[in-house]
Amino acid sequence: MNEVTVHLTVQHQPRTMIIPARTTLADLLRDHLGLTGTHLGCEQGVCGACTVLLDDLPVRACLTLAAACEGAEVITVEGLEGPDAERLRACFAEQGALQCGFCTPGMLLAGYYLVRGRQPLSREEVCQAMSGNICRCTGYNAIVRAIEAAISQGIEAETAPAQTVPRSSGAPAAGTEE
Amino acid sequence: MTTGDSTPARRYGIGARTPRREDARHLAGRGSFVSDVKLSGLREVAFVRSVVAHGRITAVSVPDDAEPGSVWTAADLAQLAEPLTATSTLAGFRAAPLPNLAADKVRYVGEPIAVAIAGTRAEAEDLAARITVDITPLPAVVGFSDALAHNAPKVHNDWPDNIFATTSGDVGDVDAAAREAAVSVTREYTMNRQAVVPLEGRGVIAHYDRSADRLSVWSSTQTPHMIREMIAILLGIEARRVRVIAPDMGGAFGSKCSLYPEEVALAAIAMKLDHPIRWVEDRWEGMVASTQARDHHYLVTAHAAADGTLLGVEADILVNGGAYSVYPWTATMDATMAAAMIPGPYRVRNYRFRTRSVAANKAPSGPYRGVGRPGACFAIERTIDELAHELGLEPYEMRLKNMVRPDEMPYTSVAGKVYDSGDYPEAVRQAAVLIGHDTWRKRQRGVPTDSRHRIGIGYGSCTEQTAHGCVEWATRGLAITIGTEGARLEMDATGGFTLSVGIKSHGQGSETTLAQVVSEVFDVEPEHVTVIHGDTALTPRSEGTFASRSMVMAGGASYGAARQLAQKVKRIASVLLDEPVEDLRLRDHAVVGRAGSLGYRELAKEFLFTPDHVPGIEGGLEATYYYRPAVETGAFSYATHAAVVDVDLDTGGVTLLDYAVVEDCGTVVNPLIVEGQIVGGVAQGIGSALLEELVYGDDGQPKSSSFLDYLLPGTTEIPELKIGHLRTASPNTVFGMKGTGESGAIMPPAAIGNAVTDALREFGAQANETPMTPQRVWTALRDAQDAMAPIAETVS
Repeated sequence: MNEVTVHLTVQHQPRTMIIPARTTLADLLRDHLGLTGTHLGCEQGVCGACTVLLDDLPVRACLTLAAACEGAEVITVEGLEGPDAERLRACFAEQGALQCGFCTPGMLLAGYYLVRGRQPLSREEVCQAMSGNICRCTGYNAIVRAIEAAISQGIEAETAPAQTVPRSSGAPAAGTEE
Repeated sequence: MTTGDSTPARRYGIGARTPRREDARHLAGRGSFVSDVKLSGLREVAFVRSVVAHGRITAVSVPDDAEPGSVWTAADLAQLAEPLTATSTLAGFRAAPLPNLAADKVRYVGEPIAVAIAGTRAEAEDLAARITVDITPLPAVVGFSDALAHNAPKVHNDWPDNIFATTSGDVGDVDAAAREAAVSVTREYTMNRQAVVPLEGRGVIAHYDRSADRLSVWSSTQTPHMIREMIAILLGIEARRVRVIAPDMGGAFGSKCSLYPEEVALAAIAMKLDHPIRWVEDRWEGMVASTQARDHHYLVTAHAAADGTLLGVEADILVNGGAYSVYPWTATMDATMAAAMIPGPYRVRNYRFRTRSVAANKAPSGPYRGVGRPGACFAIERTIDELAHELGLEPYEMRLKNMVRPDEMPYTSVAGKVYDSGDYPEAVRQAAVLIGHDTWRKRQRGVPTDSRHRIGIGYGSCTEQTAHGCVEWATRGLAITIGTEGARLEMDATGGFTLSVGIKSHGQGSETTLAQVVSEVFDVEPEHVTVIHGDTALTPRSEGTFASRSMVMAGGASYGAARQLAQKVKRIASVLLDEPVEDLRLRDHAVVGRAGSLGYRELAKEFLFTPDHVPGIEGGLEATYYYRPAVETGAFSYATHAAVVDVDLDTGGVTLLDYAVVEDCGTVVNPLIVEGQIVGGVAQGIGSALLEELVYGDDGQPKSSSFLDYLLPGTTEIPELKIGHLRTASPNTVFGMKGTGESGAIMPPAAIGNAVTDALREFGAQANETPMTPQRVWTALRDAQDAMAPIAETVS
C-alpha cells in the first residue's frame, strides 16, 4: 500500500502524518489521531455526521482524502471552542436538539459556521443551510430553533460588546422553564 | 410550539423539564460508540455477502495466501454455533432457521456468507473482496403476488408455500352489519417497505478473555440481556461466561432489538482467537442486511349507518416478512399488531380479519417504531375518511361520533385490547382547533379552479398499546413472554445514588428520566444519580428497550427499588435520630423528623463505615426490584394528528403547509424529552408518508440502498410542529405514565394520506399507497382523470 506524508494542523497543533494514500480525512482523524468525535453515518457524503472545519469551511471528512489536506487547518468537534461554540452547545441542550448524539458533531460544526457568520437568517434559510445534515432522532425542529437562537445571541453579543457571554457547561441550569 | 402543557413547573423529579444528563458528552464529541471503542490488539472484520437474492451456493473459495484464522465460512462456523431459530406458538407457524453464515442457499441480497479479518477495516475489505462465492441463481420471490402465486418458487424448500403463518378472527356479526349499513366502502392500501436507518449502523466487538474465561461482546443493541442469553445458548456455553456491553448508541428505533447473525458469528469466532475482533456495519450493509420494516397490504371493507355510526370492519392483511424470522419476534409481529389495531380508537363491535405473513427474498423484517400500527392506522383512517366522504360528513366529525368516550373507559376493543384511559374525541377537537380547520377550509374553497395547486386537510387518530405484560405477547404467539424489568439502586458512602437498569437507552434520554424517578423519591437533584445501563455484568436481568416500554417498566422498577431503599434509609434514620419511622420524611438530601434531621451523606457514612452504630438494621444500602405490571394489557397512549398539504397538480409534489399533534401519554416525566420523542417520531412518519421506500427489482435486487436514492427527511421537509397535550394518568402504571416512544411515527401516513386525498377530491384521486411520491400522486391523479373522462378522450 502506497504511503504518503501529509502536514496539517489539527485543533491548532501541527501534525506530520505518514498514512496509506487511500486514507480519508475521517479515518486519519478517527484511527490515527483518536479523534472519534467525528462520526461516520454513511461514508457517502450525504448525512453530514462527519462534518469538520477545513480551513474554516465545513466539509465532509468521509469524502475528503487526507492526502488532499496538505497544509490545511482542521477543527473537529473536540476542538470547537470559543463563545460561539459554547452558546451553540448551550442552545442545543436547552432546545433538546440532540438525542442519540450521533449526528450532533456534524450539526454543531455546520451550525457553528452559520453562527459565526453573524448574518440574521430566516427559519427557511437556516433549514436550507442545514439540509445537508441528517438527524434521525429529533425531527429537526429543536435543531433549527437552537441554531436560530445561537445566531441571534451571537449577533446580540457583537452589538453589545460590554456583555460577556456566560460560561456554560453545555447545559442550562436545572429548572429553567421556557 | 406547544399548548396545553399543564405540568406545573418543577425543579426536578417527575414532570420537570430537566436538562439531559447525556448532552454534555455528546456536545463535546466524547460519546463512545462501538466504532470508537479502543482495545489492545483489536482486528477488524468485513463480511462477504450475497449479491444474489435467491440462489444455491456451489463454492466459496478462500485465497491460498490468507493467514490462518483470517477467513471463516459456514463450514468453519458449523461446529461453533447453532443457527438461530425463532419459534412461535401461533397455529401452523413455520420456523425458518436463520443461518449465522449461509451454507447451501442464499435467500436475500446482503445475507452473510463469510468473514474476513485483518488489521484495519480497509484491509479486511480487501481480503473479503478476494474471497469468491459461486452462486447458481434461482427465481426470486419479491412481492405479494410472486409469493402467493401457485407454483411460486419457494423461499424455504420444505414449506408447502411461502406463508410463515396465517391468523384470523371473526367477532360479532359483520355480515349483519353489512346488511344494515347505509354505506359500505372497500379500499386497498399499500405501505411499502422501509429501512429503519439509525444514523449509527450496527456494530459488534467480541473478545474472549482466557484468563477470566469470559466472552465479552460489545454490540449496538437495544436488548443486551436478551442477546447475552441467546449467544450463550447458540454457542452451547453457560451465560455466566458471556458479558454483553452496549455502549453509546446512535439510535435504533427497533432495528437493533433482534439477535443478528453477525453477533453470533463474531462471538463464536472470538472464542477461537486470542485477540478482539470488531465489525462496523457500513451504510450499504445497513440498508440491505439490517432488519427492514412495513411492506404491508390491506384490503379493507367498512360499513356505516347513515348517521355515520361505524357498524363493522373487515380486513385482509398481508405482511411481507422477508426471508427469515428474526429472534425473538418472528415474522408475524407486524401482522398480529396490525390486526389488533385496525379497529382503532372506535366503538365498532363487528370485526373480521385475516392476516398472512409472507416469506420473500428480501432481508428479514423486524420491529420498527410503531410495529404494524402505521400501516393499520393508514388503512383504517383512510377508510374512515372514505366513509365520511360518502356520507357527506366532515371526517373529524366521523371520528368524534365513533370514538370511545372517556366515560366508557376502561374499554375492551373488538380486538380484545383494553384501552385504559383518556379522552379520544377531545384530541380530535383540539387538533382541529390547533390546525385552524375552518380557516384552512375557507382557503381551500378560495383556490381558483384554474390553479395548478390544491389544498387538503387530513386527520389521523390512533391508540398505541405500550408497556404491556406477558399475556399480551403470548396472544401474539411470542415464544418468550416479555413483561419484567429489573432495577437496582444503591446509596454509596458519600450519599450518592447509583441506579442500574437492564434496559438500554439509545438516544431517548433514560439516563435523565430514570434519574428523575430517584430524584422524585429521595428529593435530590438528578445529577446526584448515576444511571448505569447497557452492561449485563453491572445490571439486573432485563428484556430491553422496545415496545414503548422502558419508561413505564424500567421506571416502575426504579420506583420500586427507590421506595424499598427509602424505607431502609428511614429505618436507619429512625435509629440514629431516635424517632419513629412514620414521622420521617425525605426532604432535600436528608431524612427529616419532627425533632432532628440527618443528611444522606452523614447517614450513609454512619451506616456503611460504622454499622455497629446502627443496631438492629441488616447490612447493605441497596435495593433491587423487578417490575411486572399488575394489569398486563398495557397503558394506551393515543393521539390525533392533523395535516394540511399543498398538492402540485403538474408534478404530484406534496408540501406540508401545517402539522399539528394532540397527544396523551399520561403523566409526563420530562416535557423536553417527550416533545423530542413526538417530533422525532412524526419526522419518521413523514418519511414513511412521503419519501422512504426500499425498492426491489423483480430479481430481488435492492435498488435504493444508499442515502442518494433512499430519501430521508431533512430540515426542509419537516415543518415546525404544533403540539397539544392531554394528561390522563393511566390507572395501570406507576405515576400514571404511558409509553410514548413510538406514537409520533404512527399517524403521519394516515393524516397526510387523508390530506392529499382531500386535496384531490374533485378529481376523484386517492392516496392509498406510501410513500406518496410525486410520481404516485401524479399517476393517481392522471388515472382518476382518465376514468372520469369520456371514453373517446382517454389515452389508451
